[in-house]
Parts: sequence; structure tokens; C-alpha cells
Amino acid sequence: METISFAGQLFQYLITGLTVGSIYAMVAVGFNIIYNVTDIINFAQGEFVMLGGLIMVFFHVAVGLPLILAFPSTVILVTAVGILIDRLAIRPIRRPSVLTLIIATIALSILIKGAAMFIWGKDPYDLPAFSGRNPINFIGAVIQPQYFWVFGFLVFIAVALTFFFDRTIIGKAMSACADNPDAASLVGIDVKRMVLLSFALSAAIGAIAGIVITPISLMEYDRGAMLAVKGFGAAILGGLGSFPGAIIGGLILGSIESFGAGLVHSGYKDAFALIVLMAVLFFKPSGILGDIEISKIKRF
Amino acid sequence: MLRIDGLSASYGNIQVLKGISIQVPKGKVVSIIGANGAGKTTLLKSISGLIKIQEGRIVYKEKDIAGRPASRIVGLGISQVPEGRQIFSHLSVQDNIHLGAFLYFKRRNRLEIQKRVERLYEIFPVLKDRTKQIAGTLSGGEQQMLAIARALMGRPELLLMDEPSMGIAPLIVREIFDVIQQLNEAGTTILLVEQNAKAALKVAHHSYVLERGEIVLEGLAKELLDNPKIKEVYLGG
Ligand SMILES: Nc1ncnc2c1ncn2[C@@H]1O[C@H](COP(=O)(O)OP(=O)(O)OP(=O)(O)O)[C@@H](O)[C@H]1O
Ligand SMILES: [Mg+2]
Repeated sequence: METISFAGQLFQYLITGLTVGSIYAMVAVGFNIIYNVTDIINFAQGEFVMLGGLIMVFFHVAVGLPLILAFPSTVILVTAVGILIDRLAIRPIRRPSVLTLIIATIALSILIKGAAMFIWGKDPYDLPAFSGRNPINFIGAVIQPQYFWVFGFLVFIAVALTFFFDRTIIGKAMSACADNPDAASLVGIDVKRMVLLSFALSAAIGAIAGIVITPISLMEYDRGAMLAVKGFGAAILGGLGSFPGAIIGGLILGSIESFGAGLVHSGYKDAFALIVLMAVLFFKPSGILGDIEISKIKRF
Repeated sequence: MLRIDGLSASYGNIQVLKGISIQVPKGKVVSIIGANGAGKTTLLKSISGLIKIQEGRIVYKEKDIAGRPASRIVGLGISQVPEGRQIFSHLSVQDNIHLGAFLYFKRRNRLEIQKRVERLYEIFPVLKDRTKQIAGTLSGGEQQMLAIARALMGRPELLLMDEPSMGIAPLIVREIFDVIQQLNEAGTTILLVEQNAKAALKVAHHSYVLERGEIVLEGLAKELLDNPKIKEVYLGG
């Protein structure tokens, strides 16, 4: 057995960190979409990822649908869950305040987790990797083909969302709702529909994250909460509300975790993320790319 | 064009509008003057659908529109310039203006929208130099112009304006009232709420005086300008 060089090992940590970080980034992006429209933090965001993974396993492994069909079916189903959440839990709240809505999302995440345990049990599930599991050796690091799928989808999501929010009137209308809901309805924007759309969109992104990561890290019913914490950390690190910030924040957080686990102690893996989160909140609450002025104006 | 019969509205237990009836004939400028807290903003919000009314009818073009959501009422041709501007402060000037055309912002309307935007930039040249600027960084006067421009993008036949002169230097106030006159001459019906009673009475045809949720006086604006009571209370003697 050849010994792995130290440089190769560092490179391995980096690659692993960026892959996991891509998932955090996707969760953070999901947070930001809902936050940008409603000012609320949807703590059920991690559950979308969990559902994405497990429903994909159901369609692809249990039902036997080919990847090309199972993937969109899963995204659609999880999106439907996002829509249901808005319809059944967010919209009916009669005097919504940011805090009551956030608490509602926490309650929902517990509910979804319970339902998932009921359906799938407590065991982790595996999903075949999209392009097999023959690793590529590169400067001493082992790279799974699935890593490329994860990066690829992160890039795809980033490009698609940038286009949507910068170039389309619906995207602008969504931002307008966050900015000033009354004024938005005065120009004819149906604010409730935009909130619905934001839940649908971030559920879809969560589903994609869950689908692409399951072949690497498996998926079980209670993964959502930790993913939500990590994704939230990434969003805060990058600046709440900023999409480029979410992606950078996710990648940094993933890398810190990976290097920390490899070089210090793997048992502290989750602690690193929380330490980073607290450090950011303490030293620069607006995050790396967050706008201080905007963070002052925002209600949360 | 707009007729309001016996409109009552309240926040919780506090009744703010107590059976108000007004008329806004097509092609006119009607102004509503009244002190702080009289209920002027509440009246405009009732018309534009931002708040639910308790009682009464809001008849626009022979249809009772009371109870319809705000996002539907714009489509009928009623745009509101809200009190305190309420622009989308994180978006650019251009985005604010485009969102004003949200309901018909489609590729096939591109030319019409472009033409409207150009016409607005003629009316408000200051906005033209600042299309990419973030709206929240505009000066108060510029923000007010942007709020008016955004409302005009909604193709209003009836424009509701809530204190367009609030917090604005006299020179710019005159400019804004010139715009109101200009818009009216071009055929837009205007319901104007103002604390600046003098300016409002000068530009309006007809006026109502609102006090603590009730109409206490109405008449031709010209006559109200000479009314001794109005002079004393609203025009500063
Ligand atoms: N959201 C609200 N909740 C409770 N009370 C309100 C609310 N909005 C307005 N009011 C009350 O209703 C009354 C009328 O308010 P309104 O804003 O209509 O007055 P206004 O005539 O527009 O005053 P101003 O000239 O100061 O703008 C006031 O006493 C105000 O305190
Ligand atoms: Mg007012």
C-alpha cells in the first residue's frame, strides 16, 4: 500500500470539504430565497434535503424508475411539500409576525422528521452514484465522480437563480415583496403567491441537494436539523440574503469542517461550524458579503 | 368615476372613518384636506384595497370594488402613490419603475413600456440620470418622484396621491404640483390627500375637509380657499 503524501491528504480534505460545502451552500441558498421574500428563516429547509434524498431512493431504488425520471419526480414531489407547508402552515397564521412564522417552521421540521421516521424507519439509505463509484486519483486525492455532480448542480443553481432574480420580472417582484409588501401589492403583485413561490423554489433546491449528496453520504430521517444548522451558518457567514454569499459561505464552512475533522479531531466536526457561526455573529453580523445597511433595515 | 357611499373603517376597536361619502368625477382633481390623524390615509388605503372596510360602498366605474385585494385593484386602473413614498428601497430606480408595470410586463408589451418609461423620464429628468442607483439612496424628493413614476407605470385612470409634498422643499413641491396639473390635463383623474392645504386647493377642482373621520365641509376648491374657517384652521389665517 502506498503512503498518501501530506499534500495529497490536504487536497483530499479540501475536495471533501468543498463537496459537503456545496450542499451547505444549497441549503443556505434555500434559506435566502424564503428570507428575501418574507424575512423569515425556514428551519424546515433541512427537511427538504432529507426528503429529496429519501424520496429519490424510493423512486430510483424501490420503484426502479431510471435516474432521468426519478430525479424530476422527486423534485416535483418535494416542491409539492414546500407548497403544502406554505398553504397549511404559513398562510393560515392570522397575525403573522416573523417570530411566530419561524416557530411554525421549527414545528414543521419536527413534524416532517417524525413522518419520515414513520415511513422510512431509522436506517440510512444508499443511492447508486449517478456515474458509478470508480474514483479518480488526482495529486494523491481520491475523487468520486459524484463530487462532480454535486459541484455541477451548485453551479447550475447559482446561474439559474442569478438569472431569475436579476433578469426576470417575477424575480424582481419577489424581491419587492421582501422590501415592502404593501407597496408590492399596490403595483399588482400578489404577495401571497410570491411567498408560495419562494417556498416551492427553495423546496426544489433542497430536493436537488438531497438527491446529489445521498450517493456520497447516505440519507436518514433525522439528517435535516443538522443540515439546517449548517446551512444557516453558511447563510450567516456569507451574509443573510446574499446568494453569492451563501455559496461562498457554504464552501468555506464545508472546508473548515473537513480540515478541522482531518487535522484536529473528527469528533469535533459539527462544533467547528457552530464556532464559525458564533464568531461571525459576534464580529461581523452582516456576514462576508452582507450589506451592513441592509442588515440594519431588515426586521430580523 | 369613483363614488364612495357611507364608508366606515376601523383599526381594532377604534373607528377611524365614520360613514364617509365622496365623489371623484372623471377628469377632475379632487383633494382631501385634514389634520394629522383625521383618517386621510385610511381613506386612500380603503380605496386601494390595502385595508378591509367595515361598511359602505366603493363604486368605481359602476362596480363595487370594496373588499377586493389591492393586487387586483391596480389592474382596474387605480394606482396609489403611498404616504411616505414606500419605494422598493433595495432595488434600482429602473427596477422600481419596471415593477410599476408588473401586471403587463410581457415581451409583447416591450415597446409600450419603453415608451412609457421615456415619457416618465421627460417628466422626471432627475430619475433618468439615476436609473441604476439603488432607490433607497435617492434624496427624499427624488424618492417621491420615483413613487409617482412607479404609480404612473400602472396606467392609472384614477391616481390616488397621499401627501406628495410631505418632507419636501418648497421648490420641489411646486414641481410636483406642476406634474399633478400636467397629468390631469393629460386626462388622469386624481384624488389628492394633502396637509399642504393651500397647494392642494389651488390644484384641485373640488375639495373635502376631513375631521376625525367625518367630512365636515366640501365645495369647489376655489371657494374653500376663501372660506374663513378654512383660512383660519388650514391656511394659517
Ligand atoms: N395600522 C393602524 N393601527 C391602528 N391605528 C391606526 C393604524 N393606522 C392608522 N391608525 C390610526 O387611525 C387614525 C387615522 O390615521 P390616518 O393615517 O388615516 O390619518 P391621516 O389623516 O392620514 O394622518 P396624517 O396626516 O398624519 O398622515 C389615527 O388616529 C391613527 O393613529
Ligand atoms: Mg396620512
